[in-house]
Amino acid sequence: MAARIDFAHLSLMDALDLAVLIEEEAKERYEEFAAQMDQHRTPEAAKFFRLMAVNEAKHGQELADRRSQLFGTAARTVTRAMIFDVEAPDFDEARAFMSPRQAMKAALASEVKAHAFFVAALPALKDAKVRALFEELRDEEVEHQDLVKAELAKLPPDSGLSDEDFVDEPTAQ
Amino acid sequence: MSATCEFQAKDYKSDLKPIWCPGCGDYSVVQGLYRALAAIGRPPHEVAFISGIGCSSRIPGYTTAYGFNTVHGRALPIAQGIKLANPDLLVLAAGGDGDGFSIGGGHIAHLIRRNIDITYIVMDNQIYGLTKGQLSPTSQKGRTTCTSPYGSLENPVNPLLYVLAYGAGFVAQASPTDLAGMAATIEEAIRYPGFAFVNVQSPCVTYGEEAQQIKGLKAISENLAAIGHNPADRLAAMDLAQHYGEKLHLGVFYKNPEPPPTYDALIRERQAQLSQGALPKERILDLFIKK
Ligand SMILES: Cc1ncc(C[n+]2csc(CCOP(=O)(O)OP(=O)(O)O)c2C)c(N)n1
Ligand code: SF4
Ligand SMILES: [Mg+2]
Repeated sequence: MAARIDFAHLSLMDALDLAVLIEEEAKERYEEFAAQMDQHRTPEAAKFFRLMAVNEAKHGQELADRRSQLFGTAARTVTRAMIFDVEAPDFDEARAFMSPRQAMKAALASEVKAHAFFVAALPALKDAKVRALFEELRDEEVEHQDLVKAELAKLPPDSGLSDEDFVDEPTAQ
Repeated sequence: MSATCEFQAKDYKSDLKPIWCPGCGDYSVVQGLYRALAAIGRPPHEVAFISGIGCSSRIPGYTTAYGFNTVHGRALPIAQGIKLANPDLLVLAAGGDGDGFSIGGGHIAHLIRRNIDITYIVMDNQIYGLTKGQLSPTSQKGRTTCTSPYGSLENPVNPLLYVLAYGAGFVAQASPTDLAGMAATIEEAIRYPGFAFVNVQSPCVTYGEEAQQIKGLKAISENLAAIGHNPADRLAAMDLAQHYGEKLHLGVFYKNPEPPPTYDALIRERQAQLSQGALPKERILDLFIKK
């Protein structure tokens, strides 16, 4: 959650660490969604969420490599408690019987949310290098949105039917 | 009592895969709990996790703690028995709003007045989830469900005021809109020496109302620390708790700055007193045999 970060005094190392944590959180959430989809026999949506998890992990690793090149093993001072749901979809974005289209739309909304996070943080940043990093991350979120949009475009046209039109009400657990 | 050592959230995660509906708020509660337990650092085998019946009551199975998914409404008496039998265990109890405030509503008062050292987490979704969407004691008045097709005529129970009025020493609220806050609140509740209550607004995505889903909750949430609430002020806590249902206050409403002794500690003290000068166990029958 943005309010827990002192953007004005953020160092480049902390900013990189936060960026890694943001990717890590998103990766875990997508993995959790994939597991929920597996459990509820929705393999297409599970497959897409797994793809998203892999993408987030890859991006997180790139950022982590950059961090270690610049700052070695210096102890991390930021924590997961400082961020929440920046790039990870909200807990309640997952749904029973999610179609691939719904899964992709949930991911797209998260990428839009992450973009908004970086945009909102920019005015508060004082350090030029941190600002440059946040601008880069902001722009990458647009690229991520494009990736999801490309996946959406591969789907057959939307039938206009919703899951409620052809499945029973979900069984409560 | 064991020494605490380094544990990670994953050490409290069992192999059982949750079968909650995708998107259910209870997924966040179990995540928050894993983090809180890791911060506390007690090994899983020293934690007993007791629940009633309901979707939310499945939660012990998803942890590596000793778990007991008991009977509807009876998590607290069973948790109490376990704590008294083995006070060294870290005892957690959990369940739904129906479990805790409907069928089990009578038990809370007694755990509070005894001040048993148990942390009780209620996953409040304002509905009976497991049985497919009936009115619960925390459902809003006017709510239409399968058991209230023309809208409920009943006022909801206010769980926060309920436990504050009975004198609970620790009362807090959390929600999946702030996972780190939820983990920190559960951790603080566990660390409180006495009965601790955490009401978690945990949306039911299948039968819950739109306004009670995460976006709706985000719109009405307010952090108690951020508004300068003093958790040592019980009357201020009661004042804020009145807004249950309209506002979502997150964090600690009340934490007794001078926690009274717990019942489990008093029992041990009494046992120690009574055992002074008592016959050794093997001679206990002598009490019943006339010489
Ligand atoms: C003695 C008894 N009465 C009724 C039931 C049926 N029953 C099971 S769960 C439940 C209510 C569940 O609601 P809640 O406690 O709010 O949990 P949720 O499923 O919403 O998490 C009821 C009435 C039961 N299992 N046992
Ligand atoms: S019915 Fe509601 S409370 Fe139960 S698992 Fe589904 S979403 Fe959760
Ligand atoms: Mg309920």
